[in-house]
Amino acid sequence: MSDETNATDFEQRTKHAFDDSVAALDGATRSRLTQARHRALEELPSQHRAPWRALVPAGALAATALVAALFVWQRPQTQNPVRETALVDLEILLGEEDLEMLDEELEFYGWIEQQPEFASATDSVG
Amino acid sequence: MGLALSIAQREASLGREGALILRAPIEAFLREVEARAYRIALVHIRDRDEALDIVQDAMIRLVNRYAKRPSEEWAPLFYRILQNRIRDIQRRRAVRSRVLSFFGGTASEDEHDPIVEAPAPRTENPLEQVTAGDAMEAVERALRELPARQREAFMLRNFEGLDVAETAVAMGCTEGSVKTHYSRAVHRLRDMLREHGEEQSNE
Repeated sequence: MSDETNATDFEQRTKHAFDDSVAALDGATRSRLTQARHRALEELPSQHRAPWRALVPAGALAATALVAALFVWQRPQTQNPVRETALVDLEILLGEEDLEMLDEELEFYGWIEQQPEFASATDSVG
Repeated sequence: MGLALSIAQREASLGREGALILRAPIEAFLREVEARAYRIALVHIRDRDEALDIVQDAMIRLVNRYAKRPSEEWAPLFYRILQNRIRDIQRRRAVRSRVLSFFGGTASEDEHDPIVEAPAPRTENPLEQVTAGDAMEAVERALRELPARQREAFMLRNFEGLDVAETAVAMGCTEGSVKTHYSRAVHRLRDMLREHGEEQSNE
């Protein structure tokens, strides 16, 4: 017998041995394989979805963007005291009356700040 | 493989709804390959639970990622996933083995249980079972002596009946490499099993 014939015969015998071993699998293993197959088939993407469901992700994104915009718009302005003080200062500086007052009373405010008996009182305010 | 294809062609020609066309052929394909894939994984991994996990994982990945691909591609893709999972487990075991041996332990204690691995007996003809079981046991032992790529090539070509091109896809290599690995595997296995047979007859 040639080498090639031997190889073919050998391949057939090994294939036969493997097929027999597959056929000899016990019921418990086959049952678990069936369960595994069903589990895998659950992953199958459904093709019966209603057409409107394709718009669900876009709708969810738009709703999220709207909520975020409303949140930013409605957010209370007192969250940043430093920024708030700066705005108040700006308002005072831009108001004509306040500027006139500062011009007239500037010397007085400078003097009162240097007085030790007023220092603690001004520090504790605000 | 042929069964899955014929069902796919038949259902496509019947023009049923999309999900039915998709589900029935892939279910038939999985039913056809699951037991064989399990045996292949068991030869490599030698642990029933892990072999079952590997097969389930491979089936899930195939359905998840490739269910919509032409059914002709399922077999090589499925076996490619299966082989990758097998290699992952083997790599993990090798690392665990190295770590355990570094600390003075052995990794093989929980890996090989001949009772668990023994195939369940069939009821029709006990004498025939013993002979067939012995033959496969000898083949498995010889297969484990082969380099991993030769073993893969042999099992995919011989056990699963994939052609050279399909085996190349499943193994992620060229067709030339498949031919080389397969040819070497056949020759080495034949020599090993011949020696095994001679030893048996001398005893």
